[in-house]
Formats: sequence, structure tokens, C-alpha cells
Amino acid sequence: MSNDDRAPTAPRRDFLGMAVGASATAVAAAIGYPVARFVEPRPMPSSGPTLVGKVEDFALGTGKTVLVDEKPVLLLRSADGHFRAFSAICTHLQCVVGYSAERNQIECPCHKGVYSVEGVNIAGPPPRPLEELVVSVREGSVIVSEA
Amino acid sequence: MMGTDGQGSSWLGARIGWDAIRATLSAQRVARRNFSHFLGGITLLLFLLEVGSGVLVLLYYRPDVAQAHASLERIVGEVPYGDLIRNVHAWSSDLLVLSLVAHMFTVVVRGSFRSPRELSWWSGQALLVLCIGLAFTGAILPWSQEAYLQARVGSELARYVPFVGNWLHHFLRGGDEVTSSTLQHAFGFHVAALPAAVTALIFLHLFFVQRRAATTPRDDDAPTMPVYPDFLVRQAAAWTATFVVVMTLAIFAQRSVGVAADPRLPSVVGARPPWYFLAFHHVVRVAPRDLLGMDGARFLVAAMCGVGLAVVALPLLDRRGSRLTAYLAWIFLLACALLSAYALT
Repeated sequence: MSNDDRAPTAPRRDFLGMAVGASATAVAAAIGYPVARFVEPRPMPSSGPTLVGKVEDFALGTGKTVLVDEKPVLLLRSADGHFRAFSAICTHLQCVVGYSAERNQIECPCHKGVYSVEGVNIAGPPPRPLEELVVSVREGSVIVSEA
Repeated sequence: MMGTDGQGSSWLGARIGWDAIRATLSAQRVARRNFSHFLGGITLLLFLLEVGSGVLVLLYYRPDVAQAHASLERIVGEVPYGDLIRNVHAWSSDLLVLSLVAHMFTVVVRGSFRSPRELSWWSGQALLVLCIGLAFTGAILPWSQEAYLQARVGSELARYVPFVGNWLHHFLRGGDEVTSSTLQHAFGFHVAALPAAVTALIFLHLFFVQRRAATTPRDDDAPTMPVYPDFLVRQAAAWTATFVVVMTLAIFAQRSVGVAADPRLPSVVGARPPWYFLAFHHVVRVAPRDLLGMDGARFLVAAMCGVGLAVVALPLLDRRGSRLTAYLAWIFLLACALLSAYALT
């Protein structure tokens, strides 16, 4: 008899348990989703073409690193005054590269990666050429923009 | 403090019901083991030292790329005892990683991860992951040249993690690039989100460890001792010794704050990651560009993730307690030590 008495309560208890579990899950999702979306980093808007200096700030046959959207960009000026700009981020493990006037090449000090002044990886671990950016000169101002 | 009649005659004892607490603690017994049994407690103390010193450093630190490094220099150079407190924070973090790894290692060698202690093991693994997160975010905050480089390279390696790599890369950087957002993001996680999560998990971990003590320990033939006073007195001695080591290092071994980060400067020659990533970093550095048809670094990071998953799954993989697990743990430890030593040369 006692078994019969308890029988109807078991499904009811199961139902209540499931209802509590489902409600708890719904509450957790309702809190968790907005929090997760909030925490996820926002894409940084590009500021577009960036003025990085005057032509005379860049001596002939040298390289200088400037910041574009907080990212290091290596600006090379050849002996004939022509500008080229590369992302100064090594394609191996993302260290910051620099121009060596002595050897006329771009070097990554971290793991001895070497790029030509055309940005092509020529020695060491880098797997790809450096990313190139567009340089334009307008009324004596040097402007860098994404390719 | 207590009356000899055991009635808790002291003022405080009477109010907190000390006699009942003492009776409970005295009745509970733990295995009488060697030093390794106190590593968990040592790790806990080091975490508390991190929280204490971190809260103090926070009173002067400024989470802004233009001011972060200067504020740290001010803490170390001008604020009374600032160098001591910052040194305690830096040294405790290294020792925390060390004791955490040692704690985990002894658990593996003893086979204490096995049923019915899986929950202790998994909560411990989650703590390890969160502490690596604390170490990573903490290394960014000084915004020195080294910090900037570690943020770049560390997050870049995270990109190679299978399946979630791109998300992780983006998340660790607080965006696509290492910028002021990276510092802001790391700061929030380092001082609030991660410590809160670690604190909650420590309670859970201790709860699981306590509960499994009530079940049948595998080595129940080992001699036991009561939690109070025998175990707690020994733990207190281990805490005292740890505190002495931290203070000695903090007083006599100054930790550098480096030079302020300038993303325009080329990275430092021969830059190294923190000591606990040396072995891994060295392996990735010497990785061939192509390994079994995959990018070498990507392959090695994937392999390390595989090892990590196997470690998490240990209670399922090794149910009986084979000696092989202990041997593998020793081989892994020795290999890491050798690689780290080699990376330093």
C-alpha cells in the first residue's frame, strides 16, 4: 500500500525537479549571454589614413617606426626619396622588427628573422613577407593607410 | 586560551563555541605524510599574499598605457615600502606557480587524482588554468618593453590552439592588436574577475578535498594524525617557512620594473618568457617550419594542448594507479627542466 501511496508523487517530484532545473538554466543563460557579449573585445575602428609626419622628418636612406592605430609601422625612405611602409610586426611570433641601416635590411631581434627592404622574408623563421601599407605624400605630409 | 576543563573558559572561546570546533577538528584524521602533503596549503598562503600585496599595489597603479609604467616606477621608487610590497607581489607569483606545479606533480606521483577524488583533481586543474591567466595578465600590467613583447608573443602562440585559437587570441589581446585595450582588458581580469573566480574555486576545491577525506582513501593503511593540533601545527610551520622565504627574497632580491614600453622600438635581443614557459618557448622557437605537413609551431602547440587534455583526463585514463603515470610525470618534469636549462644557455 505504501508503494501505491508514493507512486503518484514520484513523477510530480521529477517534474518539479525538472522545472527548477530548467528555470535555473534559463536564468543562467539570461545572465550569462549578455555578460559574455559584454566581455568580448570590441573591434577597434580604424582611424583611416594617418598623418605620420613631414617629409623632412624622414632622412634619405633610413627607416623609422611610427604608430598607426597604436600599431608599429616601419617607414622606409630610400636614397632616391621613395617611401615604403610595412607593418613592423614579425610574421613569425609577432615581435617588433627594426631597420638595420648597416646591413640595409629589416631584422627581427627575437629569433633572428631577416626581411629585405621590400619586406620579403629572406632568412630565419618568418614564414611570410611583412604586410605592406600604402604611403602617400600630400603637400609635404606623409600619410599611411591600410592597403 | 582554553580552560583545562575543556569548557572554553576564554572570552572568545565561549562566544565562538571553540570546544565544539576543536572536538570536530580533533576527531577528523588525515594521513601522516611527508612535506608534499603541505604544498596545497603553501599554495593557498601564496595566493593570499598575492591578494594582499596586489590590493596595496592597486592603490597607486594606473591602468593606462601612458601612465602604467611611470606609476609602477613611483610605487617602487617613491612610495614608502613600495619596493618591498611590489617585490612580495612579484616573488609570490613565481613561488605560487612553483608550488602549484609541485602540488600537482606530487598528486600525480602519489596517484591521488584517482576515484573518488576526480572532483578535487578537476577543480585543481581549473585553478591551474586561472592562475596561468593571472600570470599572463599580471605580466602585461607593468607595460614595459618586456611586458609588451610578452603580450604580443603569448597571445600569438594562443592563436595556434586548435579550434578556439582565434577567439583566444582576440580575447587575450582585448581586440585584434596589442593596444591600450589590451592593458585595460588585462587589468580588469587581473584585479577583479580572475581573483574572484580563483577564490570561489579554492572554496570548492577545499570542499571536495575535505569530502574525499571522508570517503575511503586509497592509501588508508598509512598512519594518520588528527587535524587539530597535529596537522594544523605542521601546516603552520610550513606557512611560516614559506613566509620567511618570500620576505627574504623580497628584501634582498630586487625585481626589475624594466623600461617603459615603446611599440616603435624593435624587440629586445634574446627576449625570454617567464621561467615556467621557457621549455615550451624553446621547443616552439626551434620548431621546423613544416612538421608532418603542418606549420611547426602550430603542430607543437596542438601537441601541448593534447598533453594538457590528457592530464585533465587522468582520472579517466588511469583508473587503477599504474606506475606508468608516475614515471611519465617524472620524465615530463625532467624533460622540461633540461629544455629550460638549454634555453637559458
